[in-house]
Parts: sequence; structure tokens; C-alpha cells
Amino acid sequence: MKNVTSEPHEPGQNEVIHSVDGIEEYDNKLPNWWLFTLYGAIAFSAVYWFSYHAFDLLPHPSKVYLSDKKEATERQGGSDTGPVTAESLTTASKDPATVDQGKQVFMQNCIPCHAANGGGGIGPNLTDDYWLHGGAPDKIYNTITHGVVEKGMQAWAQPVGPLGPAKVKAVAAYVYTLHGTNVPGGKAPQGEREPAQ
Amino acid sequence: MTTASTTADADVLPAGERVQITYDDVTPIRFVMASVLWGIVGMLVGVIVALQLAWWPANVHQWLSFGRLRPLHTNAVIFAFVGNMIFAGVYHSTQRLLRTRTASDVLSKVHFWGWQLIILAAAITLPLGYTQAKEYAELEWPIDIAIALIWVVFAINFFWTVAKRNEKHLYVALWFYISTIITIAMLHIVNSLALPVFVGGLKSYSVYAGAQDALVQWWYGHNAVAFFLTTPILGIMYYYLPKAAGRPVYSYRLSVIHFWALIFVYIWAGPHHLLNTALPDWAQSLGMLFSLMLWAPSWGGMLNGLLTLRGAWNKLRTDPVLKFFAAGVTFYGMSTFEGPLLSIKSVSGLGHYTDWIIAHVHGGALGWNGLMAAGMFYWMVPKIYGREIHSKRLADIHFWVGTAGILLYIVSMWTAGITQGLMWRDLNPDGTLKYPVFLETVLKLKMFYWTRLVGGTLYLGGMVLMAYNLFQTVRATKPVVTTIEVVVPPREAEEPWLAVISSKPVIISVLVTCLACAAFLASEHDGVPKGGFASTFFMLIAFAVGLAGGIAVRSAKRKGERPWHRILEGRSLVFTVLATLAVAAGGIAEIIPNLIVANPATLAKNGAAHPYRALELEGRDIYIREGCYTCHSQMIRSMYFEALRYGEPSTMAESAYDHPFQWGSKRNGPDLARVGGKYPNAWHYSHMIDPRRISDGSIMPAYPHLETAKLDLTKTPVKLRAMRTLGVPYTPEEIQSAEQDALAQGKDIAADLAAQKITLAPDSELAAVIAYLQRLGKKPEAPKPGGAVAVSGGEP
Repeated sequence: MKNVTSEPHEPGQNEVIHSVDGIEEYDNKLPNWWLFTLYGAIAFSAVYWFSYHAFDLLPHPSKVYLSDKKEATERQGGSDTGPVTAESLTTASKDPATVDQGKQVFMQNCIPCHAANGGGGIGPNLTDDYWLHGGAPDKIYNTITHGVVEKGMQAWAQPVGPLGPAKVKAVAAYVYTLHGTNVPGGKAPQGEREPAQ
Repeated sequence: MTTASTTADADVLPAGERVQITYDDVTPIRFVMASVLWGIVGMLVGVIVALQLAWWPANVHQWLSFGRLRPLHTNAVIFAFVGNMIFAGVYHSTQRLLRTRTASDVLSKVHFWGWQLIILAAAITLPLGYTQAKEYAELEWPIDIAIALIWVVFAINFFWTVAKRNEKHLYVALWFYISTIITIAMLHIVNSLALPVFVGGLKSYSVYAGAQDALVQWWYGHNAVAFFLTTPILGIMYYYLPKAAGRPVYSYRLSVIHFWALIFVYIWAGPHHLLNTALPDWAQSLGMLFSLMLWAPSWGGMLNGLLTLRGAWNKLRTDPVLKFFAAGVTFYGMSTFEGPLLSIKSVSGLGHYTDWIIAHVHGGALGWNGLMAAGMFYWMVPKIYGREIHSKRLADIHFWVGTAGILLYIVSMWTAGITQGLMWRDLNPDGTLKYPVFLETVLKLKMFYWTRLVGGTLYLGGMVLMAYNLFQTVRATKPVVTTIEVVVPPREAEEPWLAVISSKPVIISVLVTCLACAAFLASEHDGVPKGGFASTFFMLIAFAVGLAGGIAVRSAKRKGERPWHRILEGRSLVFTVLATLAVAAGGIAEIIPNLIVANPATLAKNGAAHPYRALELEGRDIYIREGCYTCHSQMIRSMYFEALRYGEPSTMAESAYDHPFQWGSKRNGPDLARVGGKYPNAWHYSHMIDPRRISDGSIMPAYPHLETAKLDLTKTPVKLRAMRTLGVPYTPEEIQSAEQDALAQGKDIAADLAAQKITLAPDSELAAVIAYLQRLGKKPEAPKPGGAVAVSGGEP
């Protein structure tokens, strides 16, 4: 078992075939499960390539993205938030549960620019009587939904925004309740005067 | 000074000239010392950056902020710690495997001191902000040239030693060393190609742009892992593990198969770092599939290591060296299973950009590289000094402390990564994001960041124990001079090289590779699958040739023909040429088509690619200098939850003029590909001065120094000119008026901020950074006539 063979032949299990600097080498058979892994990965790769890149049997990631998006947009559009009108928003602003949900959304997303009390900072004061894009509840809802992108207010629900219509409705209701609270230390007035009703 | 002398196998050697060989053991010992020293430094920096993520005030100075220290940490651990360890092992084992002294003591010295100077240069320039912003290739062009030169010195010294060897056949460890030397040279040179911007300055721009740069970078980055952190360590395993175990290597044929499979397949897997990005999908699929095919060749190395320990497992109780090797090889097996797993597109969709990847690389670096290094040092240093290790007990403690550290590290980072990955994709029933605020997903990880810090610190503690133990071992002694007597074998008539190259295995491999490439080429074109039947035809022929070839080779073996690979092992030059071809194939097949597809001139044709305005370019250079890419990606992947958070998926055209690309690989903060226009200038101003003014609890360092630092706008035209040389279509007028245009854009931003009662100098670095950030994902704003004009608003 210890002798180094010089004649080439098929070596047996645990037979030393070479030796260098005191390191000896067996030439044992490859484990079957290892060979299976090797050939299996090669076979899988061929099948994968043909399914995606030669025959178009399975959808490319870019197509999957488009169908996911379509499905989600349909779901968002179809989600029952009820008709959003000035009246429905005014009603919502009197519903404590909705206002509370809106306040949570506001605290999570809006305070970097509008401050925790709505007094403004980077963005305008939401508690005074002056409005840049309209202080009516439906105007507020529109501003939040579509944003005022050129002024740094992002679109929160359209076309695909991070909040979606239901949360925007709630936060619009909450913002409407801030109107006229005139918090101390708020930002100077901007826009048109629209007194609270 | 003692002298050990062995006359090896004198009775079995054929007659021939007898010569005395004295090994050079000073060079390996120097490299060991450097490796231990830099290892401690590199891991200490690692502990600091881990602390910075858990506790942001640890960003104490602009030179020592996370974005500048993280590249220092990765470079130090890879090139200083593992690099010096590799050189120690190669210089020590190669002499013994070839039964000759290293060819040139002078070259060995130049190599050693040159490498240490390069490390020193890196340790100075990276904190100062000199960076090419390509991961593990951050060092600026003069250092890149020095690396190439020193690598050539190493190569000459190594191949010269091979040429004067007294052992005809190259042992498997040497195959791995050869593939390392040639591949690292190729990777480093191709990836580092850059245009210096100023005469006598350190700043340079990568010659590649956008998706081209991304693919070349990750071809490099992935194969730096393959050919710097894997193949040389496998070579070291093949020498030191059987030595320490006193057992024969389990299977020679496994060595042959896994070596060639590993070096051929590894090169193709680079695009798995770019899954679901704007890189063409065919390249992504190749990256994924070759990663899956890499699993078995990698495990071949683990098997040959672990099965060599058969019959020696009882020694593990008493021998710390074997403990380190057994655990190191096991971690190798774990990492090389995790790698293919993470390379599956959907798994990458969850794990990419998260701490899961950090767990994965540290399983490899701490588990495989670090433990193999420790095992090798604990074995080699006492051998060279002819004495026992100072304290086996301390080495044991090092092993357990280190292993506990690794486990704490990777388990906490796995949990952090998967947690954050799941939070990013979590949707409410109405289809909106459950965690729309990115910061919320970061704050969830604080506990894991602290746990990781403990794990890393434990591992560092183990390193310090090793340094002490090795120092005590060598203190007050000198290396034993090892002299052997070898018999120079008479020159035999050799098989002509043409016969070796034109033998069955080579021809079959080349044929199968070409046919498989033809099958690829015949299939997809411009993202549209086509020619499925032609493709199938080529693939079937490839399969038939492979099968028939395999049978032919086996039957030749049964007939008792001289094993082809044994002949090849005696022909070092032919071996090297074939190894070069094997590693070149994947790079050529992926990079060249991608250079054509992602050519900026082609991408610009559809009108989606726009050069940056002068001030934006200045801002981009600051973004690069501060290492923003270490925490912020600029690549929205084509997955719906990504689009919900960041906007439409990024396209190749959007980064077509980005020299270098800034797609990033980790999100400690949100993606910035479409951050332009999302927030007002005042938001960015406040956020850069102190991120916590805007986002309570943010872990981002503060950058108030950007407000006071002034741009040198006289250099802006030079930068635009350099970009023009690289193919960015700036007109001569734009270059000429770059300074004025930059100032005009700065004044616009300053005026907008002034309306918010914020004073910012138009030529401050912060103005440039804001200009750049506001540009991301948008078309450039046309310069306004007459420079600063009326405020354009800013109040939503």
C-alpha cells in the first residue's frame, strides 16, 4: 500500500500513487453523490437556459415585474376607499378612528418637512389660514396624492406611491383637522388666505 | 544557529548529480509577521466600522467616517492579511514541493517590501478620500501600477523557481498557485484601467461606464474572491493539511477534476453580483447558472480536505493546527454552498443589498481564510524555528474564541439581513408597503449590529492571542537553516508540447465549450428569445461530444496509456498556458458582448442618456470621495416592491456616462437612483449637516464639513475634458464654460436655500453634492440664462 507505482494502471482504493516532499496521494474514486451534484447542476443549467433564453417558456424578470405591477395597480385602484369628495373627506375628518390613522401616517412620513405639530419647516405651515395649493379637503387630498414634484413634495399615491389611496385619504382628513390650529412657532404664511370654515 | 539536514529518498532516486539545497525561510517568516500585524490592524478597523453602524457618533472625523474606513477594512483584510498569508505559504511550500530554493532573494525582498509599501499607501490614501470607488479595487492609479509591478516581480520569482525545479511533476498545490498568479494579474489590469484626470494628481476616472463598468468590476470583484481568497488557500490546504495530519491526500483524480472545473467555471459567475439589475438578463442568467455549477467543484476541494483527515480525526483533540484546518475547510464548504444559493435570482432578490451578504463574506473571510491562516502559522512557524509552539493551550483558546466570534457574527448578520430583506418587500393587503420608511427597517437591526460587534471583537481578540503566542515561540531564537540534498534528475526526452495540447481532454474541452457558446449565441438576442431549435441542436452535439470524449478518455486509461494529466504536470509552461485559456474563456465570453450592448454611444441614441452638468460632476466626485456607495445603491431592481419604494426600475441608459458606475452593493441607507427632485434643496441641506434633524435615529454620519469646504472650480474644465476623452459627449463650449456653469448652478441652489433663510456658498462642496443628488434619476436642468435667477420655489 505504501509503494509508489511507476507503471500506469487503474489504482485501487487507498493506494498511494504519487509522493512529493513526504506528501502522498491516493487516487480514490469520486463519491457518487458529488458526481450527481456536478452533473445535476450542469443539466439544470441547460434546462434553465432553454426555458428562459431559447424558447421563452418562462417569463423574464422584466416581464414578471410588469405583470406584478399591473396586478397591484388593479388591486390598488379596486380597493374600496369610497368616492373621495370634499364631503366624504369632511366626514372622515370628524371620524376619530380615521383621524387617528391619519395622524400615525403623518408622524411616520410627513414630519421631516412639516414638523410634528404641522407648523412647517422645509415645507409650509399646515396650521395657518394660508394655502399654496388649496385648503379645501379635496385639494389637500390631490396635493398629497400627486405631489408637487417640482417643489420637492413627492407623489404619495400616484402613479405608484408609497402610501396608496386609503392612507392618503386618512392623512388628508388629519391635515384638514390641523387647519386653523395656528400652532406657536409655525412657519410664516405662504400662499392664498383661505379661512377655516 | 542549528542546521537540519535531510537526505530525502536517496535510495529510490535515480543516479544523477547531487546538489545541496538550502531553503529560504526568512521570506516566509517575514510574510507571516506582516500578515499577523496587518490582520490585527484590518480587523480593528472592521470592529470600528461595525461600531459606527451600531452607534453613529463613532464617526469621529471626516477622514475616519464609515464611507472611508469600510474600503480600508476590506482592502486590509483581503490584500494585507490574506495577501501576506498567501505569500508566506507560497514561498514556504513551493521551495519544498519543487526541491529548490526560491529563484532570487533580491526579488523576494522587493516583493516583500514593495507589498508592505503598497499597504501603507492604501492605509494613507483611503482615509484621505483618494478612491476609484470600485469595491476591493479602490486604490488610485499610481498604487494600481505599483500592485501590477510587484505582482510581476512575484510571478517572475515564482515561475523562475518552477523553471529551476528538481522535481519533475507539479503537485496540485502548485496548480492552484499558478492559476492564482496569472488570473490576478489579468483581473487587476483589466479592471483598473483608468484615465488620470490631472497631471501629477491621484484622481482618475474608470475607462468603463455604467453597465460596462458594473460587469467588469464584478468580474473582478467576484474573481478576487475566487483567485485571491480561494485558489491560493486551496493550494495551501493541499500542502499543509496532509502535512499536519500525516495522511495521504484522499484523491488525486478529484484534485484534477475539481481544479480545472473550479478555475474554468469561477470566472463566469461574476454577474451574480448584479442579479435583477439593469444588466442584460442573459448575462445575469449566466452568472446564476455558473454559480450553481460551481457548487460541486468547490465542494471537491472541501471533500479532498476533509477526507484526507480520515484516520486523523482523533488528533483533532490534541492538535490545534488540525482543529483550525478542519473548521476552516468546513466553513469553506458552508460558504461555497451559501454562494450558489444566494446566486439564484429569487434568493438574491431577498438577500442582495442586505447584511445576509455581509454574513456570507465573513463566513468566508473569518471562517475559511482566517482559520486556515491560523492553522498554517501555528504549523509553519514552530517548524521553521525547530521548536514547539509556545502554548498549545493558548492556541486552543484562540480557536474557541475565534469560532464563537464567527458564529455570533454570521448568525446575527443572517438574522439582520433576512429580517430587513423581508421588511423591504412586505406589503399591506391594499398593495402598499408595510414599512414605507426605510429607516424603520434599519432601526430594527440595532440589536444585531451590537451582537455582530461582540462577535468581531472576540475574533480580533483571538488574533491578538495568536500574535502573542507566535511572538513567544520565535523570541530569542533564529530560524533553523534547512538544507537538503537532492539528485538532479537527468533530462528526459519530453513529449512535444503540441502532442500535449492536441491530446483528447484538451480537444474535447475546447469543442464542448465552443458548442455550448454557440448554443448561447444562437438563443437570445436583445432580450428576445429566438432560435431555440438551433440552440438545442448545438447543445445536443456538445452533450454528445462530451459523452463520447469521456468514454474515450476512460478507455485510454484502462488500456494503460500514460495518464495525460501526469504528462501535463511535467510541462509547467504548457500547464500555465492551458490554465490561462481556461480562466480567460469566461471573461471574454461575457465582457466583450456586454461592452457592445452597454456601449454609451448606443444607449445615448434613444435619448435616455445625458451627461452631468459641471457642478453635478463635481458633486459626484465628492460622493465618490466620501464613499457614499458603501451604504447607498443607485440601482432599482426590477421587482415591484422596489418600484413602490424607489420608482421605476433603473435602466442601463441612465448610468451610461457614469465613470465609474455607482450601482452599489449594500443598502445601509435607501437607494438613491431616483432621489433627484424627491426632496427640496433645504431638506438635503439639513440632512447633510445632521441627518438626525430630518430622520430621528438615522445612522448616517454627519457631513457639516462639506458646507465650509470650497470647490476648486478652475479644475472643473479638466474633469470635463477627461470625461470627453472617455466618450462623454461634452462640447468644447461646455468644457470652456464649465467653471461659469458650475457657479451658475451653485447660485441657483444658494438662492433657493436663501428663500428658506439658509446661507450656503454657491461654490461649497455641499452645493455640488446637492446638485448631484437632485440630478439622480432626472434629466439635466437647462442652465438658466444669466446665472442666478429668481427663486423657483421650494415650498410644497
